[in-house]
Amino acid sequence: MAHPTRIEPSVLHELAMNRPVSKDRLWTGIAEEGMLTLNSNEFPDRKIEEWKFTNLKELKRTDFVHLDKAGVSPATDIEKYFLPESDRSRLVFVNGYFEEKYSSIGGLGKGVTVGNLAKYAGDEAVKEYLNRLVNYDNDVFTAYNNLMFDDGAYIHLEKGAKAEAPIQILNIYTDSEQPYIASPRMLVIAEEDSDLTIIEDHIGLSDNRYLTIPVCEVKVKQRAHIHHVRIQRDSLDAFHLSRPITYVEKNSEYHSYTITLGAKLSRNEPRVIQEDEEVDFTLDGLVLIDGDQVADTHSVMDHRFSHATSHQLHKVVVNGSAHSIFNGKIFVRKDAQKIDSFQENRNLLLSIDGLVNTKPQLEIFADDVLCSHGATIGQLDPEEVFYLQSRGMTEEKAKEVLTYAFALETIENVKVDSVHKLLIEEVYRYTKANSKPKVPA
Amino acid sequence: MLELKDLHAEVEGEGIEILKGVNLTITKGEIHAIMGPNGSGKSTLAKVVAGHPQYEVTKGDILFNGESILEMDPDERAHAGIFLAFQYPVEVPGVTNTTLLRESYNTIAASRGREELDPLEFDDYIREKLDLVEMNPEFLERSVNAGFSGGEKKRNEIFQMAVLQPSLSLLDETDSGLDIDALRVVSDGINKLHGEDDGVVLITHYQRLLNYIIPDHVHVMIAGRIVKSGGKELALELEEKGYDWLESLATVNGEAK
Repeated sequence: MAHPTRIEPSVLHELAMNRPVSKDRLWTGIAEEGMLTLNSNEFPDRKIEEWKFTNLKELKRTDFVHLDKAGVSPATDIEKYFLPESDRSRLVFVNGYFEEKYSSIGGLGKGVTVGNLAKYAGDEAVKEYLNRLVNYDNDVFTAYNNLMFDDGAYIHLEKGAKAEAPIQILNIYTDSEQPYIASPRMLVIAEEDSDLTIIEDHIGLSDNRYLTIPVCEVKVKQRAHIHHVRIQRDSLDAFHLSRPITYVEKNSEYHSYTITLGAKLSRNEPRVIQEDEEVDFTLDGLVLIDGDQVADTHSVMDHRFSHATSHQLHKVVVNGSAHSIFNGKIFVRKDAQKIDSFQENRNLLLSIDGLVNTKPQLEIFADDVLCSHGATIGQLDPEEVFYLQSRGMTEEKAKEVLTYAFALETIENVKVDSVHKLLIEEVYRYTKANSKPKVPA
Repeated sequence: MLELKDLHAEVEGEGIEILKGVNLTITKGEIHAIMGPNGSGKSTLAKVVAGHPQYEVTKGDILFNGESILEMDPDERAHAGIFLAFQYPVEVPGVTNTTLLRESYNTIAASRGREELDPLEFDDYIREKLDLVEMNPEFLERSVNAGFSGGEKKRNEIFQMAVLQPSLSLLDETDSGLDIDALRVVSDGINKLHGEDDGVVLITHYQRLLNYIIPDHVHVMIAGRIVKSGGKELALELEEKGYDWLESLATVNGEAK
């Protein structure tokens, strides 16, 4: 295909545009849209305000190859990641491709559809919403996903349906000889009065390099409730660029908790868009990073109608020479009155070489609103450490307890027992390994 | 049990000397009160004995049961039996009182050869201690001092003392911020906890605490030194006359001695 106006070619552009596709490729229209975006948009760099603190040079320089040429290893020993609560409500994707043999569906009761997108391509909701909810302007990464995805996770709840168990969307990334690209995709439609819990997990089985670009579209219709937990445990050499976007209708609730533990570089861009009055949403995050990890969260909470309650607690612990970036945009549109919005970004720096950039960004065009926001960057308080030491804890233990306590707050609302336990273990593992400040080698 | 010998200490890295040669001996079974005006170094003294890393001992020594503890970390001093009730107890959101106390109790128990308690045994054990300071059991499951009133924090310190059973307790202005009823409760608790094998150091501004807890010795600290020591009657004299008449003992021609 011709691409005359393309400004700067990159490996990713080449791969996305020239990927081998089968004749019966679904969603060619979506691929076309991706193509159009790529034809007229450059790969972002730090000259662009939105990418000022996040350097994509290494991503750009990586010689990614198509998955079938990457020499990928099979997925082994992944049963340990299966949630006991989801033994009949689990979808497994390996390197972005649906794996029926690991998946288990059908135990969710009446009106609940869980399956792979390709199977349900003819569904009305898929035709109506797939790629229609994505709203990331001229984002090249969404475009790559548009060009490269063949399948994905599909969850649909009919009116009044309640998912009886949490739905696990397990994304596994396997080892490989060459760096590859995965394009996971999710579409979640919760019709009126429905209720569900989603546990979205991204796990790198090895320490290899890959790029994953998960695009997730969620629609929460009137009076529906969604509890969405997102865990990112990618390979420490991986790139993870995710675009989860959610639309909330009247009297609906959407509560999401994103836990960032892995990846060399992650950029998470959650967006929640209010579509009517009386909504309640949460966009909490916990980031635990070390070594040379970079974790970037650019979020948008867009209040377009009156009477909304929103909550964003974003907590970050940085050790080694890791780097955290937070840009939290809160929009309150004109005439969107009686908004109660809370945003706080708290950063705990355990090392001298760690780096934190934080930018709460409030744009409020209504006058009767309550928006509190704050950002703090600090070290463990020596008085607190001394207090615990004077009660018999070693300095190391005191720091561990305080770091653990700092991190724990963001996960206490995760309501699936095994996931809550798993996250406590992850926090514990991190604090245990990081109770001594590290000097980079 | 505690001997301070010509103890000099300054704020680490700032070179400002706060303790300028403190000498003090505490024998087990005794209650000592250290009084003095603001900024005289009373609280610093307590923190230095407990091992606060902000202070550096530049001269002199601290002997505990005959051994120097200068090289010991604060936790090692706690294991040895030293307890500091903080003037401003620290809030630790996310860690419950029970968790902190069980961790502390068992760490200290292990190092002092006492038996460690499992969660159930520990629960029984601390409930007895709650009564001592008339604390509501719901405090046990709340985060350490988080959202506590000033009085509740002070009560919690004495509760911790009751649970940890130290051999030397340094109580840094435990009476400040307490109303008269709370003062009585806390004082009764301290009196009940005090036995012939342990020592107590009360650091206070005011004589009123000493109506409830009768000290064996009273010391007056001014400008980083103990300038006068006496019996419990000294506290009454201070109440009456203030500290001014003692200032001259700390200075010669307007200069610190």
